[in-house]
Amino acid sequence: MRKEIFEKFLPLTFEEREELKKKKLKKHDIATIYLHWFNALVWFVELVTGSALIISKYYRFTPEFWQKIWLEIFGSRGNMLKFHIMVGVTWIIVLLIYGIFGYRNYLLGYIKNMLILTKDDIEWVIKRGQLILGKKVTLPPQGIYNGGQKLYAWDVAVGTILIAITGLVMAFHLGGAGTVRWAIAIHFLGVGMVVMGLFVHIYMAAFMPEERQSFFSMFTGYVNELYAYEHHFKWWQEMVKEREKWLESYKKEIEKELQTHEEAKA
Amino acid sequence: MAKYAMVINVQRCVGCHACELACKAEWGVPEDMHRTWVKPTHPTALKRGGGLFELVAAFYVGQCNHCDNPTCVPACPTGATYKREDGIVVVDHDLCIGCGYCVDACPYGARYIHPELKKVDKCDFCAPRLEKGLEPACVETCITGAKVFGDLEDPTSEVFKLVYEENARGITSPEVNIGPNVYYVGDDKKVDLIINKFPPRKPELPTPASLFEKLLKPLISLGVVASFLGASVAFFVQLFKGEEKFE
Repeated sequence: MRKEIFEKFLPLTFEEREELKKKKLKKHDIATIYLHWFNALVWFVELVTGSALIISKYYRFTPEFWQKIWLEIFGSRGNMLKFHIMVGVTWIIVLLIYGIFGYRNYLLGYIKNMLILTKDDIEWVIKRGQLILGKKVTLPPQGIYNGGQKLYAWDVAVGTILIAITGLVMAFHLGGAGTVRWAIAIHFLGVGMVVMGLFVHIYMAAFMPEERQSFFSMFTGYVNELYAYEHHFKWWQEMVKEREKWLESYKKEIEKELQTHEEAKA
Repeated sequence: MAKYAMVINVQRCVGCHACELACKAEWGVPEDMHRTWVKPTHPTALKRGGGLFELVAAFYVGQCNHCDNPTCVPACPTGATYKREDGIVVVDHDLCIGCGYCVDACPYGARYIHPELKKVDKCDFCAPRLEKGLEPACVETCITGAKVFGDLEDPTSEVFKLVYEENARGITSPEVNIGPNVYYVGDDKKVDLIINKFPPRKPELPTPASLFEKLLKPLISLGVVASFLGASVAFFVQLFKGEEKFE
């Protein structure tokens, strides 16, 4: 492989591509994968029960048959609300546990990797839009998450905070009726915000052929290096350098272990 | 199915508040809250012919009117408030979150937020008592028999006769008439006075509720549909194009 490809994003040769394709990089920790799918499940369950709970003429946005289906399944709307609250509270507790115990590894990581937008990220969002419209532009190199993903991360972070707080306010009547009445509208706004981005997120991450690696990394944790090079060059660069260092110390460690093993034998 | 109604004979009411107390005792209504209430109109001078005046006074006995077109029901975001088939408007405490949207929506001020339960409470014509074959507590206790409760669909009932054969009127105004099922009979002058002194107020929605209904709901629905359609179009294009065989 050429030395330059480590320094600058360049079109790769056939051999380089084949070599990178064989190598893997870890993109997600197991904890992250579980949180992602746990969150997805909670959102699904809460969207279903939440949408079936809003039945009054003024605010309803789902058809009657939909509400009937879920009413029949849960037996009563009271049960459905209790379930909705129970799942929501569980969700908040799990998020808090991640935030507290995983403060250094996961919460700070989320903030650093997903919420801090760089100039390249903003450029990426603009150019990605131009690409969709058929303009021929090259995308700037990205970190572990691209500008689009970061925007959605903001959406989710703000939405999650709004939903969690207003949910607790409504469920436990915090702050009196004057607060509860605002919480209803804000809860709906928070959900609307994340759902609007959700379809784009699902399509971009799970359906687009170019993002196949990214989709499966949400199960396995790994992406191949060709994908990393092409889609997240800045992250790839950093990871390859870090791995170099790690490999050296790892090698030394193994050698040391073998040595002690030999000595013990002798 | 029944259609329950209450008729109050203003000629008979002496303003003793016994109905209010019976109601509080029966349902544990907090001291300064009311499921039913008695308010005096105070003596009022009405014009009579020949430059003369007549003093009229009455007691307004108020409660939930179990309206035909209740404004509280659509205002409730969780569906906790609903109208039963027998016409009684009830609050399901399992669903009520105590936001008070319905309190603003009621033209009669018949609803309150229970300070301990943090849920909305109001008159339900003593539905649990009706199930046991009893009359509402206020009716049973009224010392002058001013309150009459019954089924408007039963032609033999007393309320039927009072409502359809005498000049019974609900508290309505030209602006607000949502079909109240609490009627007032007795002296027309007194009923007029009550309606004039305690007219229904315009049903209102609190700001966040109208914001939800008029702005957030259409805006977010549009955004979600647009986002879904965008993703769908992209997928259709993908279906049309197909994928690379080798990568």
